[in-house]
Amino acid sequence: MRCAESLRVQAYFDGEVDAVSAVEIERHAEHCGECRTLLKDLEQVRAALRRSAAYAHASPALRTSISRALDQDGAAPVQDMRERDIRGPAAPTRRIRPFWLGALAGVGASAVAVACAFLLVLPRLGNPLIDELASAHVRSLMPAHLIDVVSTDRHTVKPWFAGHTDVSPVVADFEPQGFRLMGGRADYLDRQRSAVVVYQHGAHVINVFSWAGDGRGLPADVSRNGYHFVFWKSGNLDYCAVSDTARDELLSLVRLLQDLGARDRGE
Amino acid sequence: MDEKRARFEAEVLPHLDAAYRFARWLTHAPADADDIVQEAVLRAFRGFDALRGSDVKAWLLAIVRNCHSTAFRQRQRRAFVPLPEENDAQYGYAMRSNIPDPQDESIRRDERRTLEKLIAALPEEHRTVLMLREIEEMDYRQIAQVTSVPIGTVMSRLARSRAALKARWLLETAGEPRAVR
Repeated sequence: MRCAESLRVQAYFDGEVDAVSAVEIERHAEHCGECRTLLKDLEQVRAALRRSAAYAHASPALRTSISRALDQDGAAPVQDMRERDIRGPAAPTRRIRPFWLGALAGVGASAVAVACAFLLVLPRLGNPLIDELASAHVRSLMPAHLIDVVSTDRHTVKPWFAGHTDVSPVVADFEPQGFRLMGGRADYLDRQRSAVVVYQHGAHVINVFSWAGDGRGLPADVSRNGYHFVFWKSGNLDYCAVSDTARDELLSLVRLLQDLGARDRGE
Repeated sequence: MDEKRARFEAEVLPHLDAAYRFARWLTHAPADADDIVQEAVLRAFRGFDALRGSDVKAWLLAIVRNCHSTAFRQRQRRAFVPLPEENDAQYGYAMRSNIPDPQDESIRRDERRTLEKLIAALPEEHRTVLMLREIEEMDYRQIAQVTSVPIGTVMSRLARSRAALKARWLLETAGEPRAVR
């Protein structure tokens, strides 16, 4: 039968236990063969799932269809909406022109919505730097905004930053550790041209922002609207990693980048 | 464009891909997933005023799950769950391809097909919890919120689904040493 500690070992693996329990569990696993095997199995299942599970995305047709449904929902009385709501995205494709008109309207409406969002919503959330980062991250997730230079090679990404931004951040591919370098992007942040290194971690995008620090303290790490923000300084640059990936996963990328930064500076 | 709509698009729609993936794992059929997600987003929009300071992603996925159970009850006459298509050509955009080299890619494709079959064979409540943890990287509290079960149940379902997947994976790949890593 299973070791009585197996659920705690699983919780440890999932990053759900505090530091004290983590030490206890590590000590337990040292002399419990069953739990050592369990940890190995958990790691294997996770690796296989993240490597192979198909990462589906909402299609452009679905996005358009939702945008139109939202338009109608605001205008039409709720009673006769249900029929139209659940008709789904298959219907519009049959009528070619109205679909494209709808699509354009949808894109237009989304653009306006995003613009409104940045003007109306985000400024209310508090620290203006976090607001800027949040909106830059969300904006990057819109189609065709994520990457300016597509490359998994740091020797391509790093020189590109030199010509397009004011900073030269650490860039590396951490594919073996699960963080694949996707490319880079220039973003306007804190009144300067910042460099954004984009990583893919499973189904999640991680934006690593960097900009010239001015000696002011950085905000504390926060989580907001399902996104985690982790801040750190390295050399004369301020960094922030933003993603909806699990917090401990984000922290492990941050540690990799910090180690690399320290090594680059010869510390 | 009113303010509610703008707020909704900024706070909820970024989680649309997660909602869609979740619906795909629930239904296995891309077209059904589209319907469910659209219905869920509309319900979310109507209920958006009531949402205050809660976890937006977990909230949206919980609505997706409710929409799925409703749709599932309506469709029970059909009484079958289609497995993932061999080649979802029509929905090719839905699959992100990371193509390092052809051989690697074909191994990945085999492995992916085997895994999807095994995942599809898991009981729904186990599959859901597993995918929320491993693919959406949600913590126990969020998973409990999405699936409306206590955290203890989340933990036991996770343990069972992981063990089942591991065991079936070993069975499936016996005799194919390259697939066992």
